[in-house]
Amino acid sequence: MSSSAAMAAPTEGIYSDEAVRLFSLAAIVWGVVGMLVGVIIAAQLAWPELNFGIPYISYGRLRPLHTNAVIFAFGGCTLFATSYHVVQRTCQTRLFAPRLALFTFIGWQVVILAAAISLPLGYTQGKEYAELEWPIDLLIAVVWVSYAIVFFGTIGIRKVRHIYVANWFFGAFIIAVAVLHIVNSAAIPAGLWKSYSAYSGVQDAMIQWWYGHNAVGFFLTAGFLGIMYYYIPKQAERPVYSYRLSIVHFWALIFTYMWAGPHHLHYTALPDWAQSIGMVFSLVLLAPSWGGMINGIMTLSGAWHKLRDDPILKFLIVSLSFYGMSTFEGPMMSIKTVNALSHYTDWTVGHVHSGALGWVGMISMGALYHLIPRMYGKTAMHSTRAIETHFWVATLGIVLYIAAMWIAGVMQGLMWRAVNPDGTLVYSFVEGVKATFPYYVVRLLGGLLYLSGMLIMAWNVVMTVRSGQAVPAPIPRVAAAHA
Amino acid sequence: MESLYLLIPLSVGLVLLLLAVFGWALQRGQFEDLEREGERILQPDQAHLDAGQGPPPTAHTESSDRANAPD
Amino acid sequence: MQVCADDVIPAAISAPLSPPAGLRVLDDPLEQGRFTQWVVGASGERLAESALQLSGLHCAACAGLIEQALMDVGGVRSAVVNSAAQRASVRWDPSLTRASALIEAVRCAGYDAVPDAAAPARALRQAEHRQALWRLFVASFCAMQIMMMATPSYVSGPGDLAPDMRRLLNWGSWLLALPVMMFSAGPLLAGAWRGLRARRIGMDVPVALALVITFVASTGATFNPDGLFGHEVFFDSLAMFVSFLLGARYVELLARHRAENALEQAMARLPEVAMRLGEGGVVESVSLHSLRPGDLVRVSVGEAFAADGVVCRGQTQADESLLTGESAPVEKGTGAEVVAGSINVGAPVDMTVLRVGHDTRFEAIVSMMRSAMSQRPAAARVADRWAAPFLWAVLLLAAGAAAVWSVIDPSRAVWVAVSVLIVTCPCALSLAAPATLVAAARGLARRGVMLQNLDAIEQLARADHFFFDKTGTLTEDHLQLREVRLSPAGERRLIDVGQALTVAASLARHSRHPMAAAVAAASPNAGGGLAIDWVDVQEVSGHGLQARDRKGAVWRLGSAAWVACGNPPDGATASVWLGCDGQHLAGFVLDERLRDGALEAVRALQAQGLQVTLLSGDTVERTALLADRLGLRAHAAVLGGATPQDKLDAVARAQAAGQRVAMVGDGINDAPVLARADVSLAMGQGALVSRSQADAVVTSNRLTDIVGARASAQRALRIVRQNMVWAAIYNAVCVPLALMGWLPPWAAGLGMAASSMLVVLNALRATHVGADTAPRANAS
Repeated sequence: MSSSAAMAAPTEGIYSDEAVRLFSLAAIVWGVVGMLVGVIIAAQLAWPELNFGIPYISYGRLRPLHTNAVIFAFGGCTLFATSYHVVQRTCQTRLFAPRLALFTFIGWQVVILAAAISLPLGYTQGKEYAELEWPIDLLIAVVWVSYAIVFFGTIGIRKVRHIYVANWFFGAFIIAVAVLHIVNSAAIPAGLWKSYSAYSGVQDAMIQWWYGHNAVGFFLTAGFLGIMYYYIPKQAERPVYSYRLSIVHFWALIFTYMWAGPHHLHYTALPDWAQSIGMVFSLVLLAPSWGGMINGIMTLSGAWHKLRDDPILKFLIVSLSFYGMSTFEGPMMSIKTVNALSHYTDWTVGHVHSGALGWVGMISMGALYHLIPRMYGKTAMHSTRAIETHFWVATLGIVLYIAAMWIAGVMQGLMWRAVNPDGTLVYSFVEGVKATFPYYVVRLLGGLLYLSGMLIMAWNVVMTVRSGQAVPAPIPRVAAAHA
Repeated sequence: MESLYLLIPLSVGLVLLLLAVFGWALQRGQFEDLEREGERILQPDQAHLDAGQGPPPTAHTESSDRANAPD
Repeated sequence: MQVCADDVIPAAISAPLSPPAGLRVLDDPLEQGRFTQWVVGASGERLAESALQLSGLHCAACAGLIEQALMDVGGVRSAVVNSAAQRASVRWDPSLTRASALIEAVRCAGYDAVPDAAAPARALRQAEHRQALWRLFVASFCAMQIMMMATPSYVSGPGDLAPDMRRLLNWGSWLLALPVMMFSAGPLLAGAWRGLRARRIGMDVPVALALVITFVASTGATFNPDGLFGHEVFFDSLAMFVSFLLGARYVELLARHRAENALEQAMARLPEVAMRLGEGGVVESVSLHSLRPGDLVRVSVGEAFAADGVVCRGQTQADESLLTGESAPVEKGTGAEVVAGSINVGAPVDMTVLRVGHDTRFEAIVSMMRSAMSQRPAAARVADRWAAPFLWAVLLLAAGAAAVWSVIDPSRAVWVAVSVLIVTCPCALSLAAPATLVAAARGLARRGVMLQNLDAIEQLARADHFFFDKTGTLTEDHLQLREVRLSPAGERRLIDVGQALTVAASLARHSRHPMAAAVAAASPNAGGGLAIDWVDVQEVSGHGLQARDRKGAVWRLGSAAWVACGNPPDGATASVWLGCDGQHLAGFVLDERLRDGALEAVRALQAQGLQVTLLSGDTVERTALLADRLGLRAHAAVLGGATPQDKLDAVARAQAAGQRVAMVGDGINDAPVLARADVSLAMGQGALVSRSQADAVVTSNRLTDIVGARASAQRALRIVRQNMVWAAIYNAVCVPLALMGWLPPWAAGLGMAASSMLVVLNALRATHVGADTAPRANAS
């Protein structure tokens, strides 16, 4: 195919990476924003005066902004970017409906901006990770359906018969999130920015945490496992340790995920037996999760020296360690006796953040560091040393964060349950809060470090994009063999 | 636990859907020759075997530039 | 990508060249039909779809290279390579290219390919595998989900679980149990039904009964909790049970398929051809199957005679060792009869076909083998012997329990009966033997003995009389140079033995005669180096090779009398002589080479108290010589000059005396005996027909592996016995518990699962050929 032929038919035989580029850059932007908000609210927990009396930046309003920004804005844009990238490369075909893909980009940014405006204004449905009010929920549904059309359409027109395992993870993530969103966000509108959940009381709680845990399981786990299964082999230049195991991993995860939700509701009004199911199946989840982790890490088997020199691989592989840690900690915490100590404490926050900063954050960073240069005609970021620095700063930040939260959490749990011989509580609640203060400061420090790492990444990306050029990537000529 | 009246039929439906998907994948040969499929993503694109693919690279920076195979 | 040799131009660029003779047969429609199907292309044209077996794939990129090489052949529409199975499926246009072009393209790329005539069998296996996997997946997936729905009733205290909630969960479980019963359990139910219709109680019957009763009763309990089936449901036990059974069968299926696949790969080869002479002296390469009596066939040196016939032009020697055990080539002058399957080792000749196909001596031996197989003593499996009485007992017990309990507490009658059926499920029994035998077979395969018949393990362990063939079994199938002797003249001229060998080898390479090959192979410089330039090389049939060196001296390599006048210096022990200008210079003593380990193997078997007999079609003298070398004379019978019928009689006599016979052979003439023996082992290098009918193929060609195999077989039997004992203990403990009503169905299912798991894990030990496989005297 000569250059003139390429210019004559500019879209044929070329991958459609516009949406990939846009989403990648958006991910960086929202990553900084989301982490900044996180740092602000961490500071507010230590020094509550930091809301200056302004309702729009009070903790209660900023917290959901933080969670939505890091999960759906940062995490979401990363997933969009990588899934559009991976599905094309593994199917060796252009995106099914590139303009629809661009629509998903615009639509998703509108969702994020709407969230950024509505949440500080106080409009919320009050359901964790599903705070956004009903108009935005509708827009999310529309964008999501479009996303599904683009993704599954691309698979439908693939030129390679086999569907690479990463695409299975992406596909499951897309469908699961669609189902979860539609069921959980069912609400009866009562005004433009107000609605009432279709469910109530403990029923709502059950559905909420069925949603909540599966959101973690499919949005934050399955989706990012898809990222892991593509970018680790590509960066390490070695195939997945056992491809067969990766397929078994996928199906095993799907098997068991649906029923772990109730472990968020231990010792609540939820019936005992429902809580027990949640506990049992959370424990069962440990096996497939660790299978996947081992599969990913062992991809480097025989090439561990690459870790020394390649900071991107450091991000990718260390993220898996955090994944393993979180998927061990989670089941442990879902055991009722453990949960009796940990529920409502900062240990839960520590657990969330080891998964979020360690697994989700780092795998995203690794994948974006691999992806972004290639979207701009280069094979490496502007500065590899900056990546290395980012890695160490981020890791230190994570360690400070989780250590602080573990200590705080266990301490809180012990303090709250300490009882005098006559049955009265030893500590008042406020005393527990006071005792937690230093740990909030340490956690803030950890978060600041993590944010700084993100800022370093943002700088690196800007330098890379400025010196690069969006080069059209040709689709390899595949023998008709695989049609 | 009325919510289960929704969640249980929903999960039964999902299970049946998943079984159908697995059956489709199995009968269409998705589980054949797995190790080779795992390595396929690492194979060099044939495009770079043909010279002159795509517009010529312009700006060069301190980072190395491989002309024709952006991934 | 590999570069082709200069003189082979890829078909896409030039006009198609005619393919090498060996490949031309692939374009013969008769042969082609065995690996090619006809399909209709996109525009309605007729396309061929051929299956090829590949070899030489060693890396991840190889599959892609081969696909590319095939696609580069003009007329090929698609080419898909499965690198795990080393197979290619090619769709091509017969008006643009030929099947032989496909193989040429693969060879050009640096690999090799042969037609995959086993493709239909493989397709069947693939379909079988997919169905089994799908059934297993459905069963286990549904079992998991049903388990989730059943857990609330286990973990909730009385009154915690509202009745409507319980009903909801039961309905959900019922829905998910439907695919399990109707789809996954299909083979189990069908097997039981077939057994019942044939009025036999097979292993499937109690299983099927348990499943049906459980499902029906649970369904009743779901929709009518106050009815006669009570309100307990056991869909979780049901699904788990089915999953487990299917899982065990799946593992067995995998092992069986792997063995069949390996066998087919070993058997895959280019179809045999014959060069038929037409009118006007035109020579065409045709499939063996198209030969007719009266056809004229040219047989080159090194080729096998395609049919029984008569030499009509030329004279040669034929190597009949595979047919008769005769280790020295037999003279065939004009008018002599030749036998299908023997090898032409002297000179090219033309022959007239007398008999083809079923009429040849080759086929006569094959049919003798087939009839011998039907008289073979039956090898009854231990489990089968116990199966029927055991199963009857189980059914009676269950019925009895139901009857008794219907008096004591009717609501529990059904569940007690089901528990009895499940807990006594002869899974441990039905798994104990096959799981162990399959594991043992896998271990043996790794050690170089490929089992084609699992029953052979038991027979091998119990064999007490070993019959060995000589040529090709105890001995290597090619001659070996034992010694070089220089005559006085040779010492002067050639200085030393090494020189003599080098000179002789460089001349010997010009002939395919086995004796020449043995000399050529013995030279360390066989690859070139100090090779002498020979001119005027002639091969004189029946005598040897003659050539002139650069100085004009005439050298001869061959029989003593022809090389030089007068007697050879050392008497007549050397078979091949090198001479120059009428003088004997060096004599080469060729010998049948004992296979490595033959001596140890025979000694080891004798040390275990087994009887060893040497049976050979070769002459009595040569057989006796070998027996001496093995030290057999004093201890064992030695039978030389035996025809296939003689060998069969010897084995029959031993069996009549109550001995269990193991036969180790390789040649076509061994095939009938291999079929008759209680257990038969064919050498990996042996004739195709022996290999395909023997119980085991010694793919490593090491006789000591046979001794090891026997030890492994004994170990496997010990493990089978352990498993049986365990199954008996388990049943003895659990059946009373179930009868007393202390074992609810879920516990019965769990117990059965755990017991079967234990059996399987124990069986897996049979794979490892560990330290405790020191051979022992016959157990039992």
